[in-house]
Formats: sequence, structure tokens, C-alpha cells
Amino acid sequence: MAYKASKNPTDDLRERLYLPELLRGLAITTRHFLRNLFNPRDTNTDVVARKGANLVSTVSYPEEKAPYPPGYRGLHRLVPRDDGKPRCVACYMCATICPAQCIYIEAGEYETNDPATQSRVIEKFPTQFVIDELRCIVCGLCVDACPKDAIRMDTGTHAPSEYTRSGFVWDIPKLLVGPPVSHPSDPWNKRSSSSRPSHQHTEAHTRVGEGLVQLKLPGGEHHSRTEVTDQPIPVTRFLKD
Amino acid sequence: MKALSVTVAIGFILGTIFVLSAVAYLLGGWLQQWNLAWVSNLVILLLGFVMLIATFLTLAERKWSAMMQDRIGPNRATIDVPGLRGRPLGGLFHVATDALKMLFKEDFRPKTADRLLFNLAPVLAFAPVLALFAVVPVGPVVNVFGSRVGLQVANPNFGLLWVFAIASLAVYGTSLAGWSSNNKFALLGGVRASSQMISYEVALGLGLVGVMMAFSSIRLPDLIAGQSTLLWGSGEELGWLGKIGVPAWGIFLQPVGFICFFAAAFAETKRAPFDVPEGESEIIGYFVEYSGMKFGLFMISEFAEVVILAAITTAVFLGGWNFGFAVDSSLARFLDSKDLGWLVGALYSTWFWVKVLILCYLQLAIRWTFPRFRYDQIQTLGWKILLPQALANLFISGALILIDPSLRTLAVVGILEIGFVLALALRRREPEHGHPSDDLPLDATTDHAPAPLPGAAAPSHH
Repeated sequence: MAYKASKNPTDDLRERLYLPELLRGLAITTRHFLRNLFNPRDTNTDVVARKGANLVSTVSYPEEKAPYPPGYRGLHRLVPRDDGKPRCVACYMCATICPAQCIYIEAGEYETNDPATQSRVIEKFPTQFVIDELRCIVCGLCVDACPKDAIRMDTGTHAPSEYTRSGFVWDIPKLLVGPPVSHPSDPWNKRSSSSRPSHQHTEAHTRVGEGLVQLKLPGGEHHSRTEVTDQPIPVTRFLKD
Repeated sequence: MKALSVTVAIGFILGTIFVLSAVAYLLGGWLQQWNLAWVSNLVILLLGFVMLIATFLTLAERKWSAMMQDRIGPNRATIDVPGLRGRPLGGLFHVATDALKMLFKEDFRPKTADRLLFNLAPVLAFAPVLALFAVVPVGPVVNVFGSRVGLQVANPNFGLLWVFAIASLAVYGTSLAGWSSNNKFALLGGVRASSQMISYEVALGLGLVGVMMAFSSIRLPDLIAGQSTLLWGSGEELGWLGKIGVPAWGIFLQPVGFICFFAAAFAETKRAPFDVPEGESEIIGYFVEYSGMKFGLFMISEFAEVVILAAITTAVFLGGWNFGFAVDSSLARFLDSKDLGWLVGALYSTWFWVKVLILCYLQLAIRWTFPRFRYDQIQTLGWKILLPQALANLFISGALILIDPSLRTLAVVGILEIGFVLALALRRREPEHGHPSDDLPLDATTDHAPAPLPGAAAPSHH
């Protein structure tokens, strides 16, 4: 046949006739159709590694879940302490920085002199801590802002399903989940006895609290309740045995 | 496992078609004693076959397109019945959910719309489409317990002219829908629809004239009877195979007419690549203001058109219910048998519907393979390509029929044309390496060179 292949569609006989190209196009779709019709779908969530003649690359979500990448964290939780109470001290930092304004906190006060609880060195705790997960834009700024490591986004929960919108307004019972977290610098760890601690508000890791830096206040006077000692206080002294 | 279930499903579909055809024959045979076989044909063919296939095509459109595009497609709707719980059955229940959605959606009418015409337009779009099918014969005339019954609603002597007349009525529904909605986009869609449908009506008619000339009739049963003859074949019967040979199918005699008719009818259905009237990405189309079941009527009429276009193409070009290459002459013996006639008739009818379903698949595949034509491309294709090509085809075919009334010369030319196109399609394109005057990148040579205007030239008769 005197058919000369050409790359220019305007003088290519096959392109100009249109029908041969039409048939070739139909052959492509039909090939895909038949392969997908008669062959079972590989459900491997690693789509690239799928085998078999079936070409479908869908991950059928609720039944098949691709593992989350290691960097993924998920929706919020309130981190409990060892005694099950929230680490949160109701400082409002997360609520303040939240660009979606989806965090609502009401603060309550601990009995500071109650020796039965660990909480005696902590003044405040949230009586209400509510996150509207529908408003949340999952930016993670609240986690960055929290000074107490009390709010984390490490649940791995991706898209919870609820029947009502109010189901997405998460309060403390729903948020306060997961493994408790304690740090050496937690204030309730910094005590040698059950007597009232000599310092009122000292935190390791803060350069002021460790006495490494002199707190400078305007006017040269102490307006803070924080007592700054002359001696540096080693962190290890406050660790429990 | 999946191949097995797909095979079972296909077998189930074929079995249903066979049973329905047999029921149609038996019911027609019983009613024929009062000359009322057309009633059962009307109910079973139009409401049973056409509407059922059209309904399931709405699902097939979504499911098949998903498979062509390597997706899964609708598979969520299930029924909470023991045994069916959690089994989507290939999305089968989405048909029911779609229908329920259409029925229970608010039937909205814009305040400024013309009330009478707005309500009338869906009916005007739907009724002609269904009426088209009246002249299409689905099964041969057989002997059912003494009375002669064929699966055809009406067999008037104007045959195919009915198709042309009624097909041109469908434009009223769309243009009136566009106008009465009192919406700029709907009006645009209606105008586009009417211009496109009127442009392609000429090619639609001329595409069929060649077959009419070849068999000297415009009645569809006559055309099918003509196509049951063999152009070249064994003189004597070969056992149960009957006579073997090349049948005088319309597609062998008139491949150009087939392309012309198919393209024109495709434009009449207003489906992609001719879906400018709908244009869902820029104007929503002539039915933009319709909701609920009125929109459903437009949609189902589109799919009914697909079925009917496939049926007419089968009857005129693909030999109707004939098997073609073999077994016809041995099966035809049973048609007049008093006991087996209806069974053989149902077998033929099943074969007819298989061809129809394959053509339906072809139309859906075309819709999901080709991008939409521009408006000027549509008019160019209609007036500058299909019309002259159909006229030339007509003169040449007429001359060939005059020269050789046995139609063999015509068939030789037709088969050569088919072979020419197939050879071009199957020929692998070799990239020209290092061609100096080539300004396209080498990668573009394999498969994806941009196409020019559609059908820039037709297969010629030389």
C-alpha cells in the first residue's frame, strides 16, 4: 500500500479520513473496558504496585484504606496526665491562635492547697474544652501554641462520620483520649515532699525558672508572684524517685 | 471468579431477552385470533424492550464509562434483604435510586416560563422517539400455533419514511424546551439543537437511500428479507449449518451509507461528540430549567433514541435478525413449523437484540472516546462532508446496481472500502526519525497527534 506515515495531521491520510483514527480510539477504550470487565481488581492500596490485567486504580475508600504517611497526625486529642486529668491548664493560647476560632475553653480553678491531688501546683484547668471539628482547618497551630503539650494531633483519625453536625463538636470526654504524657519538667514532678513547695511557679526548661536569667521587670520591682531564687535549681532535684 | 460472574450476568441478560421474546410471540399468537397481535407487540417491544434497555443504559452509561476510564463506577446502592445485603450487583440498584430521585425531586417551573409549552416540551421530545420504534421489526413472522405473528408493531407501506418523518418531529421538543424556559442558556441550547438536528436530517435520509435502492423497498421487513440472501455462498445445504456464504448485509453493500446514517443519527440523539445543544460545561442546555421527572423524560428519551438508532441500524445495515454467514437457511425451515416456530423466532429476536446491545455499546464507547465537536465542525461535517459524500455514494451505488442487479459489484466495492479503512486503522505508524522538515516532537508520532476537522475526507469509490 502506498501509505506514507506522516506526523503532520493535515497530510496524513489516516488523520484526514478520520475513520481509522476513530476506530483506533474505540479500540483503546474497548480494550480498557474488556480488561476491567473480565478481570478481578487488585485491592492493594499501593496502587502503583498493583498486579493483574485489571487497570482500575481506585482505592475503594471505606473498605480499603491506604496507610497514612508517617508524617500524618490526624485530628485533635487532649493529652491526659498520668492521673487521667487533662494536661491543659486553660491558658487560652490555642483558642487565641486558632485561625478558624473553633476552640472554646472555660477555665476552672484547682484547690491549690489540696494535698490529695497532683494538681496542687497547677492553678487552672478547663471545665469546658470544645473543638468544633467542622470548623477546624487542621492547620496545627494550636499544637504549636500549647505550652503544656496538652493538645496534640496524633490520633490518626482522618474523617470521622456523624449523623448530625453537633456530633462534630467534640468536648472533653471525646477529646481526652490516648496515652498519657508526662515530662520531667511537669510541675507536679518537681517536688520532694508533700509540703507546700518553696517555689510557687517555677518551670524547668524556662531560663527564668532555672535562675539562669534574671527576670527583668519594668520599674525594677517584682509584680509577679513568681519567686526568683538566687541559686540555680537543677532540674534533677525535682524528679521523683 | 469475576470472569465467571460476568459470563453468568451476560447469560442472564440473553436468557431474559429470549424469554421476553418468546412471551411476545406466544401472547401475540393468542391475541392474533382477534387480529390484536400489535397490542402485545406495542406493550412488550416499546414498554418492555426499549424502555427497559433505555433505563439500564442510564446505568450502563455510568458503569461502562467508569470501566473505560479505569474507575469502579456506581457500586454503593444495596438492598437490605437477606442474601442481597452488601451486594451492589454491579450497581444494579442505582437504576432504582435514580428513578426514585427523578420522581420525588421537586418539579420546579420558573415563574416566567411559558406554562403550557414548558410542560408540553418533554412530552414532545419523548413521544416521537418512542413512536419511531413502531416500524422496526424485531423478529421474523412465524407460525405460532396456527396464526402468523411477527414482532413488529406496525408494518405500513411507508416504512422508513415514518422514521424520517417522526425523527424530524423530535426537534420540536428540544427547541420548545429551550424557548419556553425563558432562560438565555436554555434558548441557546434549543437553537443549537434545532440547527444541528435540521442540518443532519438530510444526511440521515440520504444515508439510507442506498439500501432502499438495493432492495427496492422502504419497508423494513423487506430490507431484512433482502439481507437474508447470500451474495456468494455454497449452493447446497451443509448439514445443520445450512448455506454458508457472505450475506447481502447493508454494511457490505453500503458502508459509506452506514457511516453517513450512523453519524447523522448520532447527531440527532444529541450525544457526545455532538452534544453541543447540551454543552454541559458552558451552557447546561435546553433542559437547564427542568427538574424532576420532566428532566428525566429528556434523559430517558436520549437513551431511548440510542436504542432505536441501534435497532434501525441493525435492521437496515446489520441484517436484522439474520445470523448472516451460516445457519439461516436451516433455521428458516422451522419458522413455519407449528410447534417450534415461536422458539426459533425468539432465537432470532434474541440475536437481533444482541446486535442492538452491541451497537448501544458502540455508541456509548464513542461518547466516552471522543471530545465534543466545535459548532463549526459540526456544521462542516454535516453540510460539507456527509452531504456530498452521501450524494456521491448514491449516484455511484445507483450506477452499480443498474450495472449488476445481483448486487455483487456493489458488495465488492463496499467490502473494498471497509478493507481500506481497516487496513489504515490497523497499520502501525512508523515514526520518521530525523526528518528535517518536521516541527512536531517525536513523541507525538505514536498515538496522540491532534486530529484535524472531523472526517476531512470520505472513503472514495475509486
